[in-house]
Amino acid sequence: MGRIVVCIKGVPKPGTVKVDKETHTLRRESAELILNPPDRSALEVALRLKDQANFEVIAISMGPPNTIPVLQKVYALGVDDIYLISDRAFAGSDTLATSRIIAKALSLLSPFDLVVMGARSIDGETGQVPPETASLLNLPSITYVKELRFVDGKFIAIREDDFGEEEVEFPSPAIVSITPEIDYVRPPSLKRLLSLKEITPKILTNAELNLDEADIGLSGSPTQVAYVFEKTFVSRGEIFEGEPDELAEKLIKVLKEKGFLA
Amino acid sequence: MAECIFAFGQCFEGKLHPASLEILTPLREVADRLNKRLILIGLADDKEKFLAIPELKKLLADEVWYIIHPNLKHLPDDLCEKVLVYLASEHKPYGIFFPATKKGLSVAPRVAGSLKTGLCAHVNAFEVKNGNLFLLRPTYGENIIAKLISQRLPIMATLALNAFPIKEAEKEPMIKEVHLPEGFDWSTKLTIKNFKPAKKSPSRLSVAKVVVAGGMGLKSKENFQMLFELAKILNAEVGGTRPAVHAGWVNAERMIGVSGVSVRPKLYLAFGISGAIQHTVGMEGSEFIVSINIDKEAPMMKMAHVGFVCDAPSLLRALLRKLKAQD
Repeated sequence: MGRIVVCIKGVPKPGTVKVDKETHTLRRESAELILNPPDRSALEVALRLKDQANFEVIAISMGPPNTIPVLQKVYALGVDDIYLISDRAFAGSDTLATSRIIAKALSLLSPFDLVVMGARSIDGETGQVPPETASLLNLPSITYVKELRFVDGKFIAIREDDFGEEEVEFPSPAIVSITPEIDYVRPPSLKRLLSLKEITPKILTNAELNLDEADIGLSGSPTQVAYVFEKTFVSRGEIFEGEPDELAEKLIKVLKEKGFLA
Repeated sequence: MAECIFAFGQCFEGKLHPASLEILTPLREVADRLNKRLILIGLADDKEKFLAIPELKKLLADEVWYIIHPNLKHLPDDLCEKVLVYLASEHKPYGIFFPATKKGLSVAPRVAGSLKTGLCAHVNAFEVKNGNLFLLRPTYGENIIAKLISQRLPIMATLALNAFPIKEAEKEPMIKEVHLPEGFDWSTKLTIKNFKPAKKSPSRLSVAKVVVAGGMGLKSKENFQMLFELAKILNAEVGGTRPAVHAGWVNAERMIGVSGVSVRPKLYLAFGISGAIQHTVGMEGSEFIVSINIDKEAPMMKMAHVGFVCDAPSLLRALLRKLKAQD
């Protein structure tokens, strides 16, 4: 039986995240977290492979303790095991530090055939972790995968590139990142949902990962925020108030004046 | 040491991706301010096709270095990584920059991981101060621009698409082929079994002259649909914010913002869009911005050239009624 590791992320529910005023990084521990939507597709891809070829599917997530409810819900979808990778020392990690942490966690979970991640997170939106982690582990990375097939013991990915669509065959182990479009995602198991409170993820801290402090957290992040400034817009134009009808007239007038309407 | 700046020239079938030309515009300024040579690195499988690329002689780099090998045809990520890491270790560039194309976003992190250096995503501006390079990018949730600095060289970033115009150079760059050493490992673990070229040309939205866009202020999918009617009348393309896409009101291909489409139309009509920074970075280059929002203080209202304080669906409805009556 092969093993697939799905790396998921709990992201702040849009509108609830606070930025730390000192470090200008996200205050994840205070936010209400939801499963990063592209990761939902990644999980579905892994679970379909489980259905097809009996892979063991393990879900892991790097984050503060408030990630646990997200992992519990993921367990309800049918994965075999859940892990939380968490340590105060990991806070403030940029994508290099994050990739180091995830790479180490993956090496502790090896051997595995495949690592699946969502193509990007809706908070950081960099999409860098899957290929960066692959590079650190000296594994191939296949990004923006629309469809993943397992045929005659080989993985084939259909992926979207800038100039067209590619069918790529690759050896395992490898890291793939999944684009969010997917036709159907399975509902959680009612049985598992009912016993959610009893499910606890295994926890990996830096005691288990044993990474150098200089390689993780803020100190392990080469890019630092030097300064932030609020993008303020001084009102640059006219503001009109009134009833919809009169404002619509006014808008049509403006558009005509500017030549956008005949 | 650190005398040059690399820019990734993404080529395919004798074509250079326009985004690779876009990024040279800000990088040219950076290179001039910091007194570095700007080098476009082109990886390709066919020398003749590469040298026939029309934009080659007019692009803003000081030099173009091209590397030719059959395995580079589809720019496999792992091989591109090896080639760029080799060049980086040989020439120790000050920075390595990529366009935020799918290829750029896939290769840059591998190179950054290998070189153990930072990588900044979606950079849409640079600042040079006291000999330091700052990378500017919009950041999480709030209306904030972050200025990042890298504590390690090379400085690496992916540059936002459509954020910079393409400019031509006065002087032709020096074009030379770079040969990698005898024992260089040209293997790749990826096998392309099939390739279907994209049927569609760049999204019509990204090149539209008029864009009508909607956000949560439109309140429902039915209301959002009215934008399509308006678009027909104005000969415009329809765009939406991330929350509107997430709500299922409009397709993801029409999302305007950081990881969606960037637009620079002559006219941008924003209906019920508050103006969160992830959205505005995708449209702030618009020539004339009109905002319709119930909230007078919304960032989009401040950014707009003309603002209408009104419930967006109501104004949209009235607008359509009047425009249809005119015909």
